[in-house]
Amino acid sequence: MFRLGQISIILLIFAVMMVGTFGCGKQNKSSDDNIMDKSWEEILAEAKGTTVNFYMWGGDERINNWIDSYVAQNMQEQYGIKVNRVPMDAAEFINKLLGEKLVNRTNGSIDLLWINGENFRTARKADMLWGPFAEKIPNYNKYVDKDAPDIAYDFGFPVDGYEVPYGKAQFVFAYDTAKVSSPPISSAQLMEWVKENPGRFTYPELPDFTGSVFIRHLMYELCGGYEAFPYIEEVDVEQLDSQLKPLWDYLNEMKQYLWRQGKTYPAQIAQLDQLFADGEIDFTMTYQPSRISGMIDLGLLPSTVRTFVWDKGTIANTHFLAVPFNAPNKGGAMALANFLMSPEAQISKYDPLQWGDMLALDINKLETKYVEQINRVDLGIATLPADVLADHRLPEISSAYIEAIEDLWRKNVMK
Amino acid sequence: MQNNLTAYYKPYMLLAPALLVLVVFFLGGLAFALLQSFGYFPVIGLNKLSLEYYSKVLGQREFYASLGFTFYISFVSTALSTIVAIYLANYMVNLKRKNKFIDFLYKLPIAVPHIVAALMVVFLLSQGGFVARIFFKLGLLNETAQFPPLFYSRSAIGIILIYMWKEIPFITLMVYTVMNNIHKRLGEAASTLKASPRDVFYQVTLPLSMPSIISASAIVFAFSFGAFEIPYLLGASYPKTLSVWAYFNYISPDLLNRPVAMVISIVLTSFCVLLVGVYYVFMKNLRQWG
Amino acid sequence: MYNNKSKSNERSNRVILNSLPFKKIIVLLFFSMLMFPFIVLILWAFSKHWPAGAILPVEWGLRGWHYMLNPQNKMLGVIGVSFGLSLSVTLLAIIISIPAGKALGLHDFPLKNLVEILVLAPIIIPPITVGMGIHIAFIKYGLADTFLGVMLIHLVVVLPYGIRIFASVYKAMGRKWDEQSRALKAKGWQRFLYVSLPMLRPGLIASGILMFNVSFSQYFLTFLIGGGKIVTLPLVLFPYVNSGDRVVGSVISLVFIMVALVFMIVVEKAITDGRQQPQYYYL
Repeated sequence: MFRLGQISIILLIFAVMMVGTFGCGKQNKSSDDNIMDKSWEEILAEAKGTTVNFYMWGGDERINNWIDSYVAQNMQEQYGIKVNRVPMDAAEFINKLLGEKLVNRTNGSIDLLWINGENFRTARKADMLWGPFAEKIPNYNKYVDKDAPDIAYDFGFPVDGYEVPYGKAQFVFAYDTAKVSSPPISSAQLMEWVKENPGRFTYPELPDFTGSVFIRHLMYELCGGYEAFPYIEEVDVEQLDSQLKPLWDYLNEMKQYLWRQGKTYPAQIAQLDQLFADGEIDFTMTYQPSRISGMIDLGLLPSTVRTFVWDKGTIANTHFLAVPFNAPNKGGAMALANFLMSPEAQISKYDPLQWGDMLALDINKLETKYVEQINRVDLGIATLPADVLADHRLPEISSAYIEAIEDLWRKNVMK
Repeated sequence: MQNNLTAYYKPYMLLAPALLVLVVFFLGGLAFALLQSFGYFPVIGLNKLSLEYYSKVLGQREFYASLGFTFYISFVSTALSTIVAIYLANYMVNLKRKNKFIDFLYKLPIAVPHIVAALMVVFLLSQGGFVARIFFKLGLLNETAQFPPLFYSRSAIGIILIYMWKEIPFITLMVYTVMNNIHKRLGEAASTLKASPRDVFYQVTLPLSMPSIISASAIVFAFSFGAFEIPYLLGASYPKTLSVWAYFNYISPDLLNRPVAMVISIVLTSFCVLLVGVYYVFMKNLRQWG
Repeated sequence: MYNNKSKSNERSNRVILNSLPFKKIIVLLFFSMLMFPFIVLILWAFSKHWPAGAILPVEWGLRGWHYMLNPQNKMLGVIGVSFGLSLSVTLLAIIISIPAGKALGLHDFPLKNLVEILVLAPIIIPPITVGMGIHIAFIKYGLADTFLGVMLIHLVVVLPYGIRIFASVYKAMGRKWDEQSRALKAKGWQRFLYVSLPMLRPGLIASGILMFNVSFSQYFLTFLIGGGKIVTLPLVLFPYVNSGDRVVGSVISLVFIMVALVFMIVVEKAITDGRQQPQYYYL
């Protein structure tokens, strides 16, 4: 006799077995403890045919496209490695790693991370990164100025070989020359402009990283410059709060003149871009100086849009690549990192039609043919000349501040 | 004898796989959330049960703002959807012949996921959206930005409209079937007694279809109260709905915020259960008066 | 409702409200509001350039569809994963729900009330609570980031619908059929195949469609438990709701709807008896 009750019990046993085999079977294999002893050739040979899971912020269609097309194709051709880009915000993958660390999961799911700033600091403090591995990467040894302050330190936090530089960014504003005649180039001018043009300006809600850096520009101007925020390990939140009083006063004064009277803010930079493209506001901002030119070329923005920096400069920083402690494919991750740091990939990335990200390599270490290629890249009509950017470059402050500032902003400005 | 024993265990055998899934994964998840909300989280060294995190959450003004905002969205969207759906169901019941087109139309949104509904309503009603453009071209607005802000705003009208777009057909479908049966059985008897359509509706159809209305709108209410995606994407910066607020605490790099996230989600859960319960009792009483 | 108005006013209002043209207009207005978003979606999906402020696209094109078909964007794979996931969740859920529904529909047993509450609870309790609660255990036992893990968590969400549907089907069917065939000495599997199964048809359609749709549109649990490794249509579509390329977002949405609709139609046709049984959705 074959009854429904019996079928159901068989099913149950089957289900338990399935969970048992699938669920626990995966934990056994972990092969790469000795990877640091292997030669680069051995690492590449072993990585051939594997897939690298590259977790990165996915909020920019053009960056995604560059990874999926240019990077994926070249990795396949040059190394025989598949690149699987996984779009995820840094806060989310840090949290995921934190969970895996908590239960000591040795066989993780992430191979390579795009990371920097306070997330790197969090990851290092919780011992979630594998390394140091930077010295193992040929292109890092060959092309990178390892002692430069923006390479050896990430938001003031020592890198120590746990991440390798991938690109550089400098903050710029963008506006439409057809609508705004002379854009404000200081915090005081911005306040004036916003009051004269209520509803036409806003910034992304923190902790969006572009919104966050915008606030730091105001902070530099109003609270004594970056020198007033020396490197520290732990922040005294109350002291910081009172130190930032002029900033909160400024933002609260400005609030009622912002888009939607400052009752709400765009949650991400992509949303700010959308508002700008839809003509709801008159300014957008970006961490990539030539991105706007790229967007004009793609027809996403009118050709009258231009970028500008503030009189006293804008903040520049470096973004990095890191490997999690439990990355299942560390060799493949290193191969991908090496490729991303190759002059070819860096120059492709530098092209505003591709991405428009600034070089992470030391131009003095590059062969002449690469330097010529770099000089030939058309940075586009809306991009500021390299020397203008260089003359207006401000450093980041210690990453320990960043989260505290974001929390204080919520408390003082948003509510 | 043995036969009796198998008969006794039979329902449990039949239920075993389903119970396994629900007990392990559903009750398991709920239990973990509950334990963590009481500060029991051994992997980060929290071993003692306490009410610390509850008092921390309930002592914040943000909590009440968030609760109110969540309740407001669910209540308004459910109430409006229910009223419109009853009206529509009644209209369709009274149609002489069944309109196939209408039939198809109102089933369609049921197959459209919330996330697609959200996208469509945004394309339609955002300040740069289709309707704003038409108003602008008609000269009703000087610029599209004058269109009332429906998204990212504390009025949450955009979110409510998305829910309504999705839920009205759902409730209509459920209520219509029941109303149609009632109408067939009793409606004609009532009209031969010279009752007006209005009286038939209020005296017969509505009270009798109340159970289906209750259950449909309770599902909708519970769903929108705990929903995450749409308020996450289109909600105001402040206040956030409970689910979104819980999630932000959950992904915080500070693990001590996890118990806080669990407290918020447990409170959210309790309110869902409580409100559905109250709703049931209330509607049951209401039905008795009718 | 009419408290603030005078009696005569009230009467005239009633007349207007009940007059047929007025009703027609209201209902028509409602249905056009239902359809309008689809039209905008289709316009976007076939546009190439639709600048801010313009009422209609200035250039038409298939850019979004090219994006969909370009292997670099892995969209076909995503559709495959979504469909495969929801289909296997639905099948597994049906297999589990039928016996469970039979137990609840035909048998009385101690603790039945408790089981009924347990079967109702996942519909009321937000998935976010269960998901965040169980996440760490899923990571620990290797279920996070796997297809199986996502399937199991989806199963929790869809099972209540299936069980409740089959419980009411069995209840309506009663025991007499089973007993009659038993008297005819039919074997257990024969009874199920020839007697029960045909009568379960409407339940199969209703539960199949409903559970598939619930699983197919699930965002949060797929995202949390799948950890970015299991990518389904809602995950891909998510960022397009408030930013990004509207053309691509519209095409993905259309494909999303079409897959769900085709599944619905195929199921209804395949199991014949297209009679909808919406009363099963009740709490």
